[in-house]
Formats: sequence, structure tokens, C-alpha cells
Amino acid sequence: MTRTIRLSLDINERRYELDVEPRVTLLDALRDHAGLTGTKKGCDQGQCGACTCHIDGQRVLSCLTLAAQAEGRRITTIEGIATANGDLHPVQLAFMEHDAFQCGYCTPGQIMSAVACIREGRTGSDDEIREYMSGNLCRCGAYNSIVAAVREAAEMADA
Amino acid sequence: MTIMEPRKHGSSADGAVGGRLSRFEGRLKITGEAVYALEYPAENLAHAVLIQSTIAAGRVTAVAVDEALAAPGVLMVLTPDEDLGLMVSADWQGNRPEEKPYHPLPREVQFNGQSIVAVIAESREQAEEAARLVRITYEEQQGVASLDDPKAGEGKLLEQLSVAWGDAQAALARSPVRIEGTYRTPREYHCAMEPHGLTAAWQGDQLTIWEPSQWSHGMARMYAEWFSLPVENVRIISPFIGGGFGSKGQPLAFGAVAVAAACRLGRPVRLAVTRPQNFTSYGGRAATRQTIALGATEDGILQAIVHRGASETSVYADVPEQTGAATPILYKVENFSSESRVVPVNTVSPGALRGPGKNPSAFGIECAMEELAYALGMDPLELRLKNYADRDYQSGKPWSTRMLREALTQGAEAFGWARRSAAPRSMRRGGKLIGWGIGCGTFPVIRAPSEAMIRILANGRVQVVSGSIDMGQGTYTILAQTASEALGVPVEQVDVVLGDSRLPGAAIAGGSMLAGSITGAVHKAALAARDELIGLALGEAGSPFRNTGANTLAISEGRISAREDGPSLPLSQLMAAIGREEIEVRRNTLSDDAQSVEDQNKAWTTMSRVQGPTMGDYSMHSWCAHFAEVEVDEDFGTVRVSRMVSAFDCGRLYNPKLVESQWRGGIIMGIGQALLEEGVVDPRNGRTMNANLGDYLVPTNADIPDLQVISVGVPDLNASALGGKGVGEVGIVGVAPAIANAVFHATGKRVRDLPITLEKLI
Repeated sequence: MTRTIRLSLDINERRYELDVEPRVTLLDALRDHAGLTGTKKGCDQGQCGACTCHIDGQRVLSCLTLAAQAEGRRITTIEGIATANGDLHPVQLAFMEHDAFQCGYCTPGQIMSAVACIREGRTGSDDEIREYMSGNLCRCGAYNSIVAAVREAAEMADA
Repeated sequence: MTIMEPRKHGSSADGAVGGRLSRFEGRLKITGEAVYALEYPAENLAHAVLIQSTIAAGRVTAVAVDEALAAPGVLMVLTPDEDLGLMVSADWQGNRPEEKPYHPLPREVQFNGQSIVAVIAESREQAEEAARLVRITYEEQQGVASLDDPKAGEGKLLEQLSVAWGDAQAALARSPVRIEGTYRTPREYHCAMEPHGLTAAWQGDQLTIWEPSQWSHGMARMYAEWFSLPVENVRIISPFIGGGFGSKGQPLAFGAVAVAAACRLGRPVRLAVTRPQNFTSYGGRAATRQTIALGATEDGILQAIVHRGASETSVYADVPEQTGAATPILYKVENFSSESRVVPVNTVSPGALRGPGKNPSAFGIECAMEELAYALGMDPLELRLKNYADRDYQSGKPWSTRMLREALTQGAEAFGWARRSAAPRSMRRGGKLIGWGIGCGTFPVIRAPSEAMIRILANGRVQVVSGSIDMGQGTYTILAQTASEALGVPVEQVDVVLGDSRLPGAAIAGGSMLAGSITGAVHKAALAARDELIGLALGEAGSPFRNTGANTLAISEGRISAREDGPSLPLSQLMAAIGREEIEVRRNTLSDDAQSVEDQNKAWTTMSRVQGPTMGDYSMHSWCAHFAEVEVDEDFGTVRVSRMVSAFDCGRLYNPKLVESQWRGGIIMGIGQALLEEGVVDPRNGRTMNANLGDYLVPTNADIPDLQVISVGVPDLNASALGGKGVGEVGIVGVAPAIANAVFHATGKRVRDLPITLEKLI
């Protein structure tokens, strides 16, 4: 298969015209074709959560999503959650403050999950945060700090 | 949502050594701007994929590649038929066999999952599709699947690991109280979130490799030896590493394949090892088993320890997982005997995984000590304190620092150990059985030399430059703190450049040796840079400080000032006044008799200058005590860790915020080891049956309770220049036995083989 298709993807409020094979995943389209490498590939099997990004505001695993499926929808990646003038998202700041990462490789996926988790209203207790953040593995073991960061960012969002 | 103002790091003390400075490179990681190895753009890039063997042992008799070669986009198929012209590289110590060829795609299959063929195409998708068209024919031989395979046998005794003093067998026989148990740990895997892989590019005889690396200089040397290049022709670039845990310290067969393919094609090649392939492309922790017999007096004084351990290794290298590593040094005992074996099986050679040796070793001795406590009817905490080792009985040397007693007592206090009900099955909460257990841990202080460069730039900024790496331990941060303090400039004025084999040499980020080593080198270089700056300020024409006299100048808060009412100016103005664009100072911590270029190269690229924990006057180690509480559901046999308190002696902490993160990370990996992680091998063909993150279970967020960590350490200036001991490895050591002991306390059932899964409890 060498046929490529032209996709028009709306990523972080910018239009990307990409020529890709139909079998290319959204993850590979982001990383290898759109030059947006903030979204990470940890397993390519939908098991680790490192590739989490948002489609129309909902969290998705971009490794299990074909790029073609995302056409006409609003894609948000880690590169797109700070404001245009560079102010970090409250979740990003809370991750920094609480040291909610070490190697940083799962971090973009954790942050995208956390933003959605707060939006979904799943931050009622630490146990609820743990449960709704469990699709994102962190082998460095920053879980305590991730929970603290999500809790703080959720409280700020309520304030 | 509200937008928070970017926070400052708090008081200026946060930037000094010992301050809780937030992660220095953090912004790059939380914005997705940190660039990892496979993310570097390359022009005209080709993509390689691996095909791994499907038999445990045998010989490749034929590889049918025509169909694959005819597939769209395919550029090349490499098979065992090709001689890639590589030579075997030297071992960790720098010893190299002469004229021995190296075949990264071998004809002789030594384990299931060994790389046999590589397909290179214009796109990764094309290479993957073509790989499915390759047909490999084998002449299969009988393999040994695992340590439990009846064909595996007892293995080989490694004499160099035998340790004995006193007369352990006789003392054991005389002891009125004896226990004996056999403890087992399965294959465990690193599972760093960033899978392995690399991009390799040649320019003439210059080779550049973007690959996650725990040791840029060592890996450059090994690649150079494979490809018969001068080491300076190979450059490893690795500023960010998505976790290593021991797996990214040396180049692996797939690296050789990618570099060879790039050479043959004359274009850059990227090879991304898939997640399942990661399980057999390098070794995790070997499966182990050990038998421990303890003898004690009726009042709980240890009389003898007899340890017999075995770990599996590959059929092509003897790599012991030293189950006797912690056994001799945790307790005072006058009679000791330990022997270790390796059992060759058809697996990839095991590797170093967090707390190598010490970790399974502590599982054995720390479970055995609690078994002894129950046999004696004694509090396990009291038993440990009663047999406290006042010195290292193995080496006979005094401890440099050992705050393990404080770790035990302060940990117990924070945990509430005094409220423990002694009998198993005697504590409940809700419908659950509750159990409490203790596990101690240790990891040696391993010392190594490093080099560092400090640059003071015309704009007054300070650069710390080192080839060392940061895979999340915090190298960027603590080096900024070290330079800031030594030079007297605010940490915001410091930049740190790491992760490139062209930069000054450094110890491996492994064995918990990097932080102590590289802070020593940076501290030395920064003090030298400060002296040089002051010397220039005193001597150079144009300096307002000229001839103000020695010992009158100080640098603080980024300003150089004469004492009292003299002039004071920022470094940028001094640089302008003395007409300097840059001041560059390079220092290393090698001894004076090892400063030749050859000595230096060898020091940075091999382990030949690494010093073990008892090579000086003292025995030097990090220590910890973990207190675990588990909840066990009696009906289902499910175990959850509900809380843990862990107290550590790691000497001085360079940055407690980052240290606490590392400790918790080690503890969490230990919880995984205790309850979840197990590489399962197909006994028929040696295949790793759960080679993915859905079947090989690592802890998720919901598996982990709040983990309280406490520092009880004091600065140990024998261990390192700034007084720290290792932090990264010790956190995992002792966690699994603490949990196994808690499970026994909860249920009355002793599980001696990890992981503790429900079928072992119901």
C-alpha cells in the first residue's frame, strides 16, 4: 500500500494539510507528519495512555485512532493547552509545583487526561482521581504527586 | 478556568544545594517541548523494523525475502546471511576479546524473541507490512525455557560470589530456634514508558546516534568498537530519556542493526523497538530462588545465616542477579555462609533493574527475619533492633554512616507500629483483614570519577556542561543548584547542558552513582571558575577591583563585590570590564596520576575507575526501612497496599523534593514487584507470553496509596564530595518483603514466591 490520502486536520486551532497513508494513526500523524512530538508513543497498543490527546474535548488514545477518523473534528494536544501568549494551563503549573513527573515521557498524556478528568467532574475525592487517572501509566511512579496536582488544579477550576 | 501566575521557586535557599527547587527542565516536559530520541527530525529518513525469533533455540536455515523486497517502499532486508562486519566490543571494565566478530542478527538462535531479520523501508508502515512477508525457516533444537524447566538443572556455582565467616552450618545446628524458607522472584521488566529505539546518521566516517542513554560516553565507546571507529567519531545525543531503570546503559543488537543499515543505505535510519519487542530486546531482572536458614537463641540473637541462591542467566553470558547481596550486611551475625549459582536458560541475558541484587536479596532475608520473629514470638521490629549490625561483618570495616536504627524507630513511630496486634489475622477494618509488615533495604555507595565544565558568558549567565544524563532523577536540577551555590549566582542565572557524548565525561546514571559523582565534579569546576573570575577581577586592566588585594572579593547573588564599601557589579559588567567573552573552566575528579588523555577516556567510557562500597576505610551504603499496611479481602484473596511509611538514610539530600519523588517511584515499583509483576514464559518454546503492558502488569494510579517518606540521613563526606549517598536504587529494596510480611500478618499465610496473587491466598 503506497497510496496516500490528503487529510485536513484541525489541531490546536490550526489547520494541517497532511498526505498520509490511510492506515496512519493519529499518533503517528501528529508525531511524524505534523511535527507535534509532544504526544508520546509508549506502547502503540492502547495500554499505557502516553498518547492521550483530546478530540472535541474528549480524551482519546491517539494510537488507537486513525488520523482519518479525526478529520473534521477538533484535536487538542499538549502543545495546545497553554494560552496563545504562553501562559501555562493550571494543570501544567500544578504538575510542576507538585513534581508530578520525573522522566517526563508519560507527562503530556497525564496532563491531557487530567484536564479531561477535571472537565468530566471526576475529581470528587483522591480515590476518584486515582481511578480516573489510571489509564495513564507512569513507571517513574509519580502517582501521589499526580493526584495532588489534579486535586489542586480541580480546586482552582472550581474557585 | 483561572490562569495561575507562573510561580517563583520560593525563597532563594531553594536554589542552593539541599533546597526544594522545582524540576529545572520541568517546563519543557509539561509543554511537550522536551525532545526525546526518536523525535529528532532527519532528512531522507528510512525506517527499520525488527523480526524476532519464534523458537527458543536452534538455527536459521533459510530466510525468504523476495516477497518482502518486492513490497512497496522496501529498501533493504538484513538477514543472518549478511556479514555486517562488526567486532565484539569490550566489557564494562574495558577488556576486549581480539578479532572476535559480532553478529547482531545471528544464525544461531539463543532465545525466543531474538532479533533475526530487519526490514528497512521508506515508511515504518511499509517496513512493518513487508516484515510480515518474510519467511524464516529454522532447524529447531530443544531449549530450556526457564529456571523452573526440569532441564535447567542446578547451574554453575560462581565462586567469586561465595561469602563465609565463622562456621555457619555448625552454629545453625546448635541454634535452639531455626527457620528455613525458599524465596522466589519471577522475571521482571523495566517497562520504561519510552520504548527503546534510535536514529542513526552517518556523515562520512562520523556517526551520530540519537538514542536514550544512561551513559553517553560508554555507549559511544561500544558503538565505536563495534564499527571499528575511533571513539571520537561517534556521538550519542540524549538530553531527555523517557525512563531507563537500568535498561539504557549500553547499546543493544537493534542499535547495531540500525547503524549498519544507515551505513549501507547512505541515509539516516530510525528503528523503533515495539513495546512487545522491548521485552526480549534486552534483559530485565532474572528470575531468582534462594533458600535461607536462620538460627537464633531463644531470646532472638542471630547465630547463623546460611544462604544458597540461584538466578537464571542466558546461554551465552553469566549474569548473576545476586540474591546474596544484602544478606551479609543487614544484621549482626558471627556465622555466615552464602553461595550463588547461575542457571543458563534460553533467554536474553538478564540486565540490571532497579536495585539489582539487593532487591531480591532483601526479599529473602527480610522475609526470613520476620519468619524468625514469628517463630520466636517476638515483635519483628524488636528482632531487627536486637540484631543491629554495629559494623560491616563481611568486610570488617566500620560503617561510614548507618542511620538504619533511626529509620526503623522513626518509621515505626510515624506508622504507629506500637498499636500493632501481634497475632496474624487479628486486625480487621470493615470486612477486610489488615496486616502490617516491615522490610529493610540497602544499596551500596558506588563512587566514580566525572568531569564537568563551567562557562561564564559575557551576559553573566553560567553554563554547566556535562555529558551526564537526566532520565528523571534530577541531574539538571541538582547541577544548577550545585553551580549556583558554589559560584554565588542565582539559580535562574544558570543553564545546564547535558546528554551528549561530546561533552565532558561522566559516570553512568546507574548503580546510584551519578549524583554523587557529577555534583563533585561540578562543585570542583564551579569553585575553580569562581577563583579564576576573582583572579581576573584582581589582576586585569579595566577591572574596578584591580589591585584591591587578595581575599577581598566575594561573589554573591550574581554580583562580585569588594568587602565593605568597595565597588559591586553584576558578572556581566565585570566580564565587559575585563574584556572577556567567556571564561571556561574544566575540572575532573580523577586522581592526579590518572590525568593522561588515555586515562581520562578510559575513565569516562568504562567502569575501570569505579569504586565499590568497601574499597576505602569504611563500608558505605544507603539504608531504608519500609512499613507496609495491606488490606486483604478474604473471599477473593485480593491484596491492596493501603498505606506505607518509609524512612531512608541516603546521607545529605541535594534536593529533597526530587529525592522524595525518586523514593516514591522506587516504592511503587516495589509494590508492583510484590503484587503484580511477573514475566510468564511458555514452557514449550520459551516465549514471553505477556510481552505487553496490558498483560505484564505495572502499578496504575489506583494501585497506589499515599506514601509517606522520611529522611533520617546525615551528610556522609566519605561517600561523596557534598555528603549524599545513592537515592534511586534503594527505594525499591525491602518493599516486597514488607508487603509479603504484611500479607502474612493479615492472613496467616506465608507466600514466598512473588508476586502475591490471589490464587496463592485462597
